[in-house]
Amino acid sequence: MTGNGQVDHPGQKQDRDEVFVEFTKSICPVCKVPVDAQVNIRDNKVYLRKRCREHGWFEALTYGDAEQYLESARFNKPGTLPLTFQTEVKDGCPSDCGLCPEHKQHACLGIIEVNTGCNLDCPICFADSGHQPDGYSITREQCERMLDVFVESEGEAEVVMFSGGEPTIHKQILEFIDLAQQRPIRSVNLNTNGIRLASDTRFVAALGERNDVKDRSVNIYLQFDGFDERTHREIRGKDLREIKRRALDNCAEAGLTVTLVAAIERGLNEHEIGDVVEFGLSHPAVRSVAFQPVTHSGRHVEFDPMTRLTNPDVIKLLVEQRPDWFRKDDFFPVPCCFPTCRSITYLVTEGAPGEPDFGVLPIPRLLQVEDYLDYVSNRVVPDYAIREALEKLWSASAFMGTDVTEDRLRVAAEALDCADACGVNLPEAMADLTDRAFMIVVQDFLDPYTLNVKQLMKCCVEEITPDGRLIPFCAYNSVGYREQVREQMSGVKVADVVPNAIPLRQVVEDSPYGSKVAADRDGARGDGDGTR
Amino acid sequence: MTSADEAKACCAASYGNDAVALVLGESYHPGGLALTRRLADRLQLRSGQSVVDVAAGPGATARLLATEYDVTVDGVDLGESTVTTARQTTMEAGLSERVRFHSGDAERIPLPSSRFDAVVCECAFCTFPDKATAAAEFARVLRPGGKVGITDVTITDAGLPDELRTLAAWVACIADAKPLTEYSRILGDAGFVVTRTEQHDDAIARMVEQIDARVRLLRMTAGKRLADAGVDVDAVLRYCTLAKQAIDDGLIGYALLIAERR
Repeated sequence: MTGNGQVDHPGQKQDRDEVFVEFTKSICPVCKVPVDAQVNIRDNKVYLRKRCREHGWFEALTYGDAEQYLESARFNKPGTLPLTFQTEVKDGCPSDCGLCPEHKQHACLGIIEVNTGCNLDCPICFADSGHQPDGYSITREQCERMLDVFVESEGEAEVVMFSGGEPTIHKQILEFIDLAQQRPIRSVNLNTNGIRLASDTRFVAALGERNDVKDRSVNIYLQFDGFDERTHREIRGKDLREIKRRALDNCAEAGLTVTLVAAIERGLNEHEIGDVVEFGLSHPAVRSVAFQPVTHSGRHVEFDPMTRLTNPDVIKLLVEQRPDWFRKDDFFPVPCCFPTCRSITYLVTEGAPGEPDFGVLPIPRLLQVEDYLDYVSNRVVPDYAIREALEKLWSASAFMGTDVTEDRLRVAAEALDCADACGVNLPEAMADLTDRAFMIVVQDFLDPYTLNVKQLMKCCVEEITPDGRLIPFCAYNSVGYREQVREQMSGVKVADVVPNAIPLRQVVEDSPYGSKVAADRDGARGDGDGTR
Repeated sequence: MTSADEAKACCAASYGNDAVALVLGESYHPGGLALTRRLADRLQLRSGQSVVDVAAGPGATARLLATEYDVTVDGVDLGESTVTTARQTTMEAGLSERVRFHSGDAERIPLPSSRFDAVVCECAFCTFPDKATAAAEFARVLRPGGKVGITDVTITDAGLPDELRTLAAWVACIADAKPLTEYSRILGDAGFVVTRTEQHDDAIARMVEQIDARVRLLRMTAGKRLADAGVDVDAVLRYCTLAKQAIDDGLIGYALLIAERR
């Protein structure tokens, strides 16, 4: 096939082999120049295709279920304006981040990367972090400024996430958490590999104390990719299984709520999705699991853009691996961002897997979610309090262990509308529901291959930069902002990272950090004909 | 009270009390808002028309029709407390001018004759013991050329097999459901011409799934109290499985029906 979706048959008119559904913008994955892009459907799958004048055609799978892709458009919530914008519209999306006044959504979640250094050197790391001598760590003053920018933009902010690098090795990380808690930010999430949590119980206890602060919470976002030794070695470079277990037990001891975060890569750990959920349901500290198809930004193993994992693929694998527990329509797209970016389900559980009375019940089976979250058909909804509750639950700011999420679960339970029959008041009976509720998130981040500005423009997960910008997470990782910020902060030149994709083998070379960058030679020029 | 009266009173009260209402709530009907909109579209409702909603429940459909189709709606329901709730919610929504509720019986609709453009009746016709009289009442309140739109449970022409009799006893709306041809005949006898029928079996399959899920939830959250109240959860779940099978086998379905008054 050429870049035009045509099949060659001279003399006879032929139909294209695909349905053209969107014209949009993306970037060239090699030189990061903004380019026109088109979204097409073939065999019930969604592909994004684009052409760079210099580097030729590129195509990638973006959604594994075209019917769902089209259907989910109804669940697109009107965006909310942030209180402030940090930049101006100048060159157009995705070059003006951010947030520029053309951005369609406020920040549900702000991320502060406190360092580039890490106590691991994972083969897969979108932040390209590790034991590196030339990175940076933010200062207390920079952290204050970043938090202030977030609060100026959000007023009362829901969640800030401290990330890195590895945030727990920053000497001032507890101070940073205190700074966040002193501001109108309800929850702090700590995104960690768990090494310090496994060994430093005083540190875990200090986090536990901060989790007990009134109207504030601290939750742990723990990297957790599976159980096979191979999974650990190929994704993390080390067998961390014992460390993860100890980290989790220490969190349980300190009363901390944990989300297991699994990066899923084809051919590596896609068979462990059901096991991760089952383990999470069994562990007292774990209240949610987040699955992320490996983001092909930064450092990663070589991949094929045409067969990469997408949200519907992850959900399908989970359903195949635990057919007694799940069906694909238990997951619902998240309306605050673009609905194809993220899908969520909540479960009510009873007991633990393996116990005789164990039960698991996906909440979308209990009520007609689309009667509340279909923003296109519904001009009236049966109950606006229920819509609001569902909006908070199906949101990028929803994290188990936060008061807001648990309150909304209670309101959603009240939506069940079966008060006081047979002597059972269900909402009352559900007052302790939150101890049994469990959340599963599936989030496919954009990479330089799959980037679609339509999604970026409504992104609600923002990287907060030391110079006071809020940059959509996927723009930060794919467009070159991460490299720009690292260069500014460290004073060391950083080249734009290029995906380690099979079709780009000929045009990339190794960066000092283990990622790939454009090779500095004329061979990098594409012929503009075949599709990469 | 005759047994028919008892059945009716029980059903109206039960939208809040019997097994289905217990777990689904009184505003529930299969197909949700989407099927209500489809029904309204098939009735070709136009701005300014007047509509009767028979068995209006707490009034979600009446308010949707008034808001999205710009019609006035008179809702009728047998349950006093349901009517009170419906009025209250409608007042809070600022729709009391265009949406009114009346306490009354489908077999004696408390509204004047030959006045209305359309009658809607969602998941309720099947529960009326005297369907012929109810159909005659629909005809009476409609102007000539007015239309009735019904969504309802259907069963096969052969009726329900024996193993579903217990199910029928448990679920009010299945107990007296009829084949679609029978609904059409009853409406025909009352002076209607059926202009359209559609099958929406997914809607009732989804309803059974919701019952199943909610009963399981009740068992998780209030198992002991359910048992104390004499609810046999395992039996309810067995009925759900039977009902799902019956739907898959085409023995129970859900239909949309439009008929025009001659």
